[in-house]
Amino acid sequence: MASIKPKRGVVSRFLVSKAAKFGAAIIIVIVGFILLGPFFIHTKPDAVSGLPNRPPSPAHPFGTDYQGHDVMSQVVFGAYPTLIWGLIAAIGATALGFVAGLFGGYYGRLEVLVSGATDVVLSFPSLILLITVGAIFEASDWLIAVVLILILWATGARAIRAQVSSVKNFAYVDAAKTSGLTDWQIVWRIIAPEVGSIAIAYFVLIVSVSIVLAAGVEFLGVGNLSEVSWGSILYFAQQYGFFAGDWWWVLAPGLLLALTAMGFALIGFSFEEILNPRLRK
Amino acid sequence: MKFLYRRIITYIIVLFAVINITFFLPRFAPGNAADIIAGATRLPNEASKIIATRFGLDQPLSTQYFDFLKNVFLTWPPYLGVSYNYFPATVTQLFAVRVGWTMLLILASIGVGEFVTYFMAAFSAMRRGGKFEIGSLYSSIMFNSIPLFWLSMILLYVFSIVLGWFPIFGATGFSPGSGVNYYLDVIWHAVLPVAALSLSVIGESFLIMRGSMQEVLKSDYVLAAKSRGLSNWILSSRYVLRNSMLPLVAVISFSLASLISREVLVEVIFGYPGIGDLLVDAILGRDFPVLQGSLLLTTIMVIAGGIVGDIILTRLDPRLKK
Repeated sequence: MASIKPKRGVVSRFLVSKAAKFGAAIIIVIVGFILLGPFFIHTKPDAVSGLPNRPPSPAHPFGTDYQGHDVMSQVVFGAYPTLIWGLIAAIGATALGFVAGLFGGYYGRLEVLVSGATDVVLSFPSLILLITVGAIFEASDWLIAVVLILILWATGARAIRAQVSSVKNFAYVDAAKTSGLTDWQIVWRIIAPEVGSIAIAYFVLIVSVSIVLAAGVEFLGVGNLSEVSWGSILYFAQQYGFFAGDWWWVLAPGLLLALTAMGFALIGFSFEEILNPRLRK
Repeated sequence: MKFLYRRIITYIIVLFAVINITFFLPRFAPGNAADIIAGATRLPNEASKIIATRFGLDQPLSTQYFDFLKNVFLTWPPYLGVSYNYFPATVTQLFAVRVGWTMLLILASIGVGEFVTYFMAAFSAMRRGGKFEIGSLYSSIMFNSIPLFWLSMILLYVFSIVLGWFPIFGATGFSPGSGVNYYLDVIWHAVLPVAALSLSVIGESFLIMRGSMQEVLKSDYVLAAKSRGLSNWILSSRYVLRNSMLPLVAVISFSLASLISREVLVEVIFGYPGIGDLLVDAILGRDFPVLQGSLLLTTIMVIAGGIVGDIILTRLDPRLKK
């Protein structure tokens, strides 16, 4: 099984680890900022704490919005719904993709079904589906998360299915079969651990995508706008301040959103690079 | 031809699913269309009954369903209902005016984006692990992951609001002129939206191109070409890139769905009068027929683009014909 061991060039190994470290550093700084922020910020995100539409100042490091709310407080407290719902959607999508990929890769009869379903989902204009469903049903956080799961499971499922269908031909799977394990046991005990690392890589990538998608639909005015989140901050900024030149109202929440997405994408990219069987040669 | 059959079956399922979503979604939504129209215009209760009769909403569901299919497939131009917000105008009329602008942005950004990607990938292949490759890689990851709507806002702020180089909204000015002046005006208005979309196209395609190029670089024929002493440029442009073209075409046709989704957001920021702009007005005005119509129309655009891409793919790669 020499082909299982990653044998890689010095340059790409250097690159990969550096990208992962860079991504992890970004995420750690942001999570630290969000976790420690509430201890230092005593203004509530929905409290009027200054004059409206003011640029950054010592009292309001990220400025104030059109109603005099402190943007820094909004950004810190708004991070929680953004990140939590992004994680929920990513966990759901990864779990669904993992199970679909496992069974679709192992059982020949399910293969057509699973790969057909992934193809269909990947050819859907997903954001527009999300917007339509969200707008017609006056979406709650849960509805958005469920639609995100139904959209995002497909990329992971496709990669995992491909890997499973190559793993299942390895000699140790045959050995397990002859030693009397049932198909069910082989799938969960022998194949699942083999492809678990790919699922983790896709999980990290999906977190990055789901946070941005959820913020994107909220930015368009679909979703729970009464809750302060990065998406809803940007929605109100676009509606009430941006064209008047309130750059600070857009810069801070957007930058944090961008950095978070990029941090997860860097980590996911590195994982994928290490695990991708095509690049292992 | 297995590949093409498979793709076509996929498209048929996608279309079928979207048609059903389009039909059933608003019928399961809280409140019915007639009440919404009547409510919006504050008409008395009888009015909502008249409206329901007018739009066939009092018919049994199966009759409505077949009428809907007939209107979409057997009527020309397809009838997708009447917009609530722009009342006498049908959804089809609204789309007809706007679809061209959306197509312009999409095609221009695929063109610009893939052109730049091609050369970025070529230079990266010439010097593996060099500064250029690492820079391209990091910027691709960045542009692929950061929210495009935020990037667009920053571009708009810097180049239109602060520097004033480009217009703040629209696809043309109020008096665009004619002939060459008209085209120049259109290009001037399209620069920023196309730039924003192209950056995300580059981000997505470069990562895929680079992956497929690594595979090609390890192949025997590249090694053979290298040992014959061919220059780096010829090696990367003739041997490596040509064989990495397949995934590039594949990624265009596969990423059309996500590209159209992103294009909608870009239109909103730049106030560009395409489908996306209409869609967002429809969200705010709860204009369901327009919402449903946008979903159907964008899906048809994705499918049409996908079929073109798949045909090109089978031309490029004879293996797919088997």
